Amino acid sequence: MEEKTLIQFKNIVMSFEDQLVLKNINLDIKENEFVTLLGPSGCGKTTLLRILGGFLEPTEGEVLFDGVDISNLPPYKRELNTVFQKYALFPHMNVHDNIAFGLKIKKVSKDVIEQKVMKMLKLIGLDGYENKNVTLLSGGQQQRVAIARALVNEPKVLLLDEPLGALDLKLRKEMQYELKRIQQEVGITFIFVTHDQEEALTMSDKIVIMKGGEIQQIGTPQEIYNTPVNRFVADFVGESNIIPGRMLDDYLVRFDDQNFECLDYGFAKNEAVDVVIRPEDLVIVPTEEGVLTGIVDSVLFKGMHYETVVETVPGTSVTVHMRIIKNNEVISADGKEKISANDFFVDIEDVAALDDKEVVARADAQAWNPETDEYISLNSIDYSVKEEEGEYPVVFSTSNGTMIQKMIYVVNQPIVKNAKANEAVMAFNFFKTADELMESQALDTDLKLWANAQGWKLSDEEQTVDMYADYDFDPENVKEGQSYRVTFSTTGRELKVRTVNYVEEGTEVGLKLGKNDIHVMKRM
Amino acid sequence: MKRFSQLAFPYIVWSILLLLLPMIIVFFYSITTGGNGIISFEFTLKNYIKFFTDPDFVIVLWRSVKIAVKTTIICILLAYPVAYFIAGNNDRVRNMLVFAITIPTWINMLVRTYAWIGILTEGGIVSKLLKLLGFAHTELLYTESAVLIGMVYNFLPFMILQIVSSLCKMDRSLLDASSDLGANGVQTFLRVTFPLSLPGVVSGISLVFLPAVSSFFIPKLLGGGQYFLIGNVIENQFITVGEWNFGSAISVIMAILMMLSMYCVRRLESKNSQESD
Repeated sequence: MEEKTLIQFKNIVMSFEDQLVLKNINLDIKENEFVTLLGPSGCGKTTLLRILGGFLEPTEGEVLFDGVDISNLPPYKRELNTVFQKYALFPHMNVHDNIAFGLKIKKVSKDVIEQKVMKMLKLIGLDGYENKNVTLLSGGQQQRVAIARALVNEPKVLLLDEPLGALDLKLRKEMQYELKRIQQEVGITFIFVTHDQEEALTMSDKIVIMKGGEIQQIGTPQEIYNTPVNRFVADFVGESNIIPGRMLDDYLVRFDDQNFECLDYGFAKNEAVDVVIRPEDLVIVPTEEGVLTGIVDSVLFKGMHYETVVETVPGTSVTVHMRIIKNNEVISADGKEKISANDFFVDIEDVAALDDKEVVARADAQAWNPETDEYISLNSIDYSVKEEEGEYPVVFSTSNGTMIQKMIYVVNQPIVKNAKANEAVMAFNFFKTADELMESQALDTDLKLWANAQGWKLSDEEQTVDMYADYDFDPENVKEGQSYRVTFSTTGRELKVRTVNYVEEGTEVGLKLGKNDIHVMKRM
Repeated sequence: MKRFSQLAFPYIVWSILLLLLPMIIVFFYSITTGGNGIISFEFTLKNYIKFFTDPDFVIVLWRSVKIAVKTTIICILLAYPVAYFIAGNNDRVRNMLVFAITIPTWINMLVRTYAWIGILTEGGIVSKLLKLLGFAHTELLYTESAVLIGMVYNFLPFMILQIVSSLCKMDRSLLDASSDLGANGVQTFLRVTFPLSLPGVVSGISLVFLPAVSSFFIPKLLGGGQYFLIGNVIENQFITVGEWNFGSAISVIMAILMMLSMYCVRRLESKNSQESD
């Protein structure tokens, strides 16, 4: 039996002071449906709800209720009721009078009011609380009174604006079941707003996912979870592994240098797509049996399962040398100024882009007053560099004439390329003093900076790739004159796998997945 | 906390010397006779009896209460709409309006009351305006109406600000909730806004009634020599007549009266906050 459409949003646009909060929303809601508007903060879901409730007038568009345009009706003339996020219970009335409020306005007779209020109290489990002052109730109790206050008026539609937000986890889960039960028992349409995807999956018949004022996808919880329409939806609902790939043909997709059968079709040949694989759909098997192979990178205990991260495509790495040098500071004659700097390497291709700021940064050149630790600005930076391999002096000085000379080494730095992962990396040898190493607050970040470590995509040089640093020296314990190796690597491909058993880090494993575990989405 | 209680020591000394001690002295005077002469005095309740048995004094007390009540009621009626309007504005406009209402109070009450003499006198602005409108009787000064005008004028800002404050404290979502449940503008006002603003009204009452009932220079200046309120009587006893004992007794009676009203106000406030319709 097809339920009839009760509410229709037609071309709703809402803008607040030049900000477009809702961009052309079209949505139908059927009778007796439990619909959830789901999305991150600021996506417009509460705004849409308030427009339906009559608290906001849309900039454009209309709202139809049972076929009638209600855009001009104030809230008190609409046949719906709202449960507000902060409950909005009347503090000067007790539980009974809060619940009875709507009925009294409608001038319902006293005994009918008593009947209905008592019935409602039983329904929400607060029998006997009629005369209690609402401000003395707990959060969960207040929320139930708010629901009762709205439901007692027997509206056709109940709007709920993140009503469970203020409750602790256990109570929230209880209330989720309660609300679903009430909705099915009473038989009315619920429109629920939340940012909690688990809540949405638990309670809804239909989920509307919103982002930035637009609807991303409408579907049942299963549809949203199993066949998300794009990366945002896949990521927002449930855990996901999202891999860029290419659709070779209907039912055939290619990613990470391998072809996979899938259930999706309708894409253009060779279209760039996003592939989503849910962690629970990947199974760890012995390497010979796996469709993919990799090494276990990390394991996180989550209570019901482990979140195991498996690296299937190793990243690209480059190793450089870090030489520890003596403290090379120059102190001025009067002892009031100290200046320091380091030699550094520069790739031949980057010479043209070198400017004063860059030179100061790469050399880590600084001047300061040793007594007060105040920074002194560098007055002149003197150097002349050619786009040829060689050594070029650079002199840094302050306005008082304190100066230090260092060398710029121009080299043709080899780049490490990784065609399989579509990326390349590069880093330079560098010089540092033992003090600088010990003073560093975030060594990994500093090492990347000092070595000028970069990673980028081969297909698009502008796109950078994150790198992490690996080293086996003790930063507190380095010797002057010694050289230490530092390796910078990209992450490659890491897949989240949900496992029931513990698999030790470093183990080589295989991953098994079938064609119904892969879902292909349009690239956003 | 021990440290802090030591810091309070100077304040305690101050309170005792300048607050408690004078009150004890006044009370002492009220239950003795012998005026200024400290040596010969006797304990008696004669002063209190004198007050209550002399019809003139009781009339004056009653008159003071009456006019204070009138003042309070007029203040509420005038202040509420103004406060409602002010509270309905955004922060900036509201602050400006509140500021505008507060500025006149920076000028001493006495000076402003003097100003009213000039305004209400025969030949002043008001009488000219009334003559224009066709009224024959335009002597407002030195009547009960003048005193009433003076009191309302002086105490109105306090009532307005108290009501504005309690209206602003109200959660706006309550208005949404009321509307959502079917109440139109008027119903929302009567069932939600007004009841929730009552604490402001009640505190406004205490800020108006108490000063009004004991004021003495407003009735003196605007009422002329003819309009005597209890405050004037007390002043008169001390300064003109020299009957400090009697004056003290009246003061104590006034103090008890005020304490009773404050108690009633408190009872009203707490009854409001636990109200079950």
